[in-house]
Amino acid sequence: MSARHKYLKTLFTNKSEGNLPQLIIAENENLQSKFVVQKILELREEGIPLEEISVLFRSSFLSFDLEIELAKSNIPFRKFGGFKFIETAHVKDMIAYLRVLENPRDVVAWNRILLIIDGVGPRSAEKIIEDILHRRADKANFWKDYNRYPQSVRELFELLKSISTDKLPPAEKASRIITYYHPMMKKKFDDHTKRKKDLEMFEQIAERYKDVGSFLTDLVLEPPNESIADIEPVGSDDEYLTLSTIHSAKGLEWHSVFIVYALDGRFPTMYAANNVEELEEERRLMYVACTRAKEYLFITYPINIYDRESGTILTKPSRFLEGLNEKLLEPWVVDEEG
Amino acid sequence: MKKYTLKKPADGLHIVHPQRFQIDYKNELNKAQYETVTSVNGPHLIIAGAGTGKTRTIVYRVAYLVELGVKPEHILMLTFTRKAAQEMLRRASILLDHRCERVSGGTFHSFANSILRKYSNLIGYERNFTILDQGDAEDVMSLIRTRLKLDTRERRFPRKETLYGLYSRSVNTMTSLNQMLSIDYPHYLEDEPDIRKVHELYTEYKITHNTMDYDDLLLNFNKLLKQNEPVRAESSNHFKYIMVDEYQDTNKLQAEMIKLLAFKHQNIMVVGDDSQAIYAFRGATIRNILDFPEEFPSCKTIKLEENYRSTQAILNVANEILKRAID
Repeated sequence: MSARHKYLKTLFTNKSEGNLPQLIIAENENLQSKFVVQKILELREEGIPLEEISVLFRSSFLSFDLEIELAKSNIPFRKFGGFKFIETAHVKDMIAYLRVLENPRDVVAWNRILLIIDGVGPRSAEKIIEDILHRRADKANFWKDYNRYPQSVRELFELLKSISTDKLPPAEKASRIITYYHPMMKKKFDDHTKRKKDLEMFEQIAERYKDVGSFLTDLVLEPPNESIADIEPVGSDDEYLTLSTIHSAKGLEWHSVFIVYALDGRFPTMYAANNVEELEEERRLMYVACTRAKEYLFITYPINIYDRESGTILTKPSRFLEGLNEKLLEPWVVDEEG
Repeated sequence: MKKYTLKKPADGLHIVHPQRFQIDYKNELNKAQYETVTSVNGPHLIIAGAGTGKTRTIVYRVAYLVELGVKPEHILMLTFTRKAAQEMLRRASILLDHRCERVSGGTFHSFANSILRKYSNLIGYERNFTILDQGDAEDVMSLIRTRLKLDTRERRFPRKETLYGLYSRSVNTMTSLNQMLSIDYPHYLEDEPDIRKVHELYTEYKITHNTMDYDDLLLNFNKLLKQNEPVRAESSNHFKYIMVDEYQDTNKLQAEMIKLLAFKHQNIMVVGDDSQAIYAFRGATIRNILDFPEEFPSCKTIKLEENYRSTQAILNVANEILKRAID
């Protein structure tokens, strides 16, 4: 008996038939973006709040042009599925300080926080770490005589020693680390003002915890989804549109859904097209994307997209949609006025 | 003197007459949902299509089990994110009462973590082990690569991301290094001994520095349960009713986890939709959900197909996309 490939199922509903989903072709990427913007404004006019609308895409970079157009039209949006809060360099730095407090044998974390210090290179970092591992093996003597280290490293040890006591709540530890770290961050990143907000958020999240251990574990296992987004007070008045990768849209639903770049070579990706299993996974992604919509579904694709890797020009709609009966998926084309 | 011994009341289920339930399950659910909610013992596979009220069904089942007299602590709910578990238990508490808040819920990783903190000494770790995320793990790979002077030789050696990727995938898909190299990196096949060396040192590093990576949480959990009969029995006796959400996105280690946990009772309900399996790139395997009936031969399968979300016009397109999939 051969192995099962899928469970047969046919979804049905008692809801009304509804409007036909549309497949919209645009001459180029920018026209696709402009179409989405215009349609969103129309939906807004109809009384559908931005919260009830989302734009979904196969890969994070496929929304860059649209993001610019949205900004031009002052449509507020949030993007999900790109870089995660926890993966940003400055947040990783913060975590590293707490990690050496929790587990002084954590060499990777030591290496990270030593290299932040001006004048400490890989070689001196390694020496210090070796010293830490050998001479400071037990916790009781851990903070003793670090005076022979260079001044800048001594400062790090002073900070760590001052917050090593279990009596200090994690948020207070985080706050002191931020004070210590901030001047270095200013030198390290051009966009440090923006990053400062993340550190404030970091401190805010720490407030929920009683001990550093569980705080760290949660940060790694249950990372906040994205900078800022997760602490926004619930029910805030700010209305915003959702941009999301399909992966991050899993389990969610919106009144109106746009799927952009449903272009063969982008969705499915060029790469997946060579492998049956990957291709089937892409098909399921398209299925997941479509089933996020409650009332309106707009699937768009730009043509004349040059694909550098293959040296070809992409012009066809996603193979998962091509040839679909026009009575199921209505074909439209974007045209410019005048 | 001869003596009579009075038996302790059984820890299992009370027989509750349906009319005494607080919730009118039959009226509040459709037929397939009701069947799911009232399926209690034995393995169950629930194929829940998009928008078919999956979360609601799970919430009702938690309430149902609690109403039946199952202790909330004995129910384990494993979900894709912690938020999902919290949300379900919150809703169950509103539906029934605060008892549902005591249900154990979380992700596979956080669940494994909580058990490992308790028994870490049995597998050679201290309680305060720290967890390496992907970036950290890659840094360790880089460290070892440099230490072995593999970065300075003439012929190209895999980058730290590749080294970790190979390691992680071989662990959570249980594939041999040789096999993976042959498929994805045939040009590195002759480096197999060196790559293996890096991986060995990586494993060693984690133990000597009291750290685990993501995969270790699952791997060590399975190791712990396999090697320690008492821990396995205790865990399985404790978590008497296990539910798993999004089963289509689990990996091999996770399937192994639930098999170990359920070995005493087989009370395992997995819920998912094979058509929404989209995490193969992270090591998930759709085979888990497809082969569940073979893994648990007494399994009963129930399909939820009535959609409450979308218009029929939208569902027609979705159904059509699936229909063209290979059989």
